[in-house]
Amino acid sequence: MTPELTALTLAALLQVVQYALMAVPANLELGAGKTLSPRDPDRLGAPLQDQVSPRTGRLMRALNNHFEGLILFAIACTVVTMSDQSTPFTAACAWTYLAARAAYVPAYAFGLVPWRSLIWFAGFLATTLMLVAALI
Amino acid sequence: MTEPTALILYAFLVIVTLLLQATGTMTQLGMGYLLSSRDEKRTVSGIAGRLERALDNSVTAMVLFAPAVLLIVVTDSSTNQSVLACQVFLIARVIYLPAYAFKLTGIRSLAWTAGLLCTALLYFLAL
Repeated sequence: MTPELTALTLAALLQVVQYALMAVPANLELGAGKTLSPRDPDRLGAPLQDQVSPRTGRLMRALNNHFEGLILFAIACTVVTMSDQSTPFTAACAWTYLAARAAYVPAYAFGLVPWRSLIWFAGFLATTLMLVAALI
Repeated sequence: MTEPTALILYAFLVIVTLLLQATGTMTQLGMGYLLSSRDEKRTVSGIAGRLERALDNSVTAMVLFAPAVLLIVVTDSSTNQSVLACQVFLIARVIYLPAYAFKLTGIRSLAWTAGLLCTALLYFLAL
């Protein structure tokens, strides 16, 4: 297993952790009656993300944001591995991505401005550099 | 162009879409809001809204396209047809972005359909 694939697996597990971090407070705040329901708009009153506390809302947005990043990162990791282009540079990018996405969650939850955006950008840049490395 | 190259190029297209969407959002809502925790929801309109929806759609398309390419490679099913499907997918999605941004209604839906059919063809070829 290349370091990129290890980082990808850990990033996917991070997403599972992010799910739990979001779902537990959301269920406590909203009650199972709402979260287990089919969530039809006329019964909910307002979208669920508007009914939770600010911190839980941030954890929801952090989760949604990581989907986008994770898909791009998955493409970068698998193509780099498949085409035998793994180098110390691409491995360093992969670990940078993982560290950035792990730091992104508390940065969002605690509203660290502008650190959250800078951390996001570090992960985004790491993925972009891996994609460039895979292409050349 | 091999299938993985097409996938990488598509990833770049999504990155470009993301950057355009972020620029549009920044123009309408301001850098301060973009950097904030966005606890109060603000929405964009016009071209920034269309870029936001185009990005959402491109990410969905990427989730379907990436496994298809990986399957083609892993199962050794690469043929001229699968390469062509990847090329048409790429062209369709390149057309999709400006078609959405500039409200070319019929063309956008046509490009979207072409992209989806190409992705479906890749899964069919991998079987």
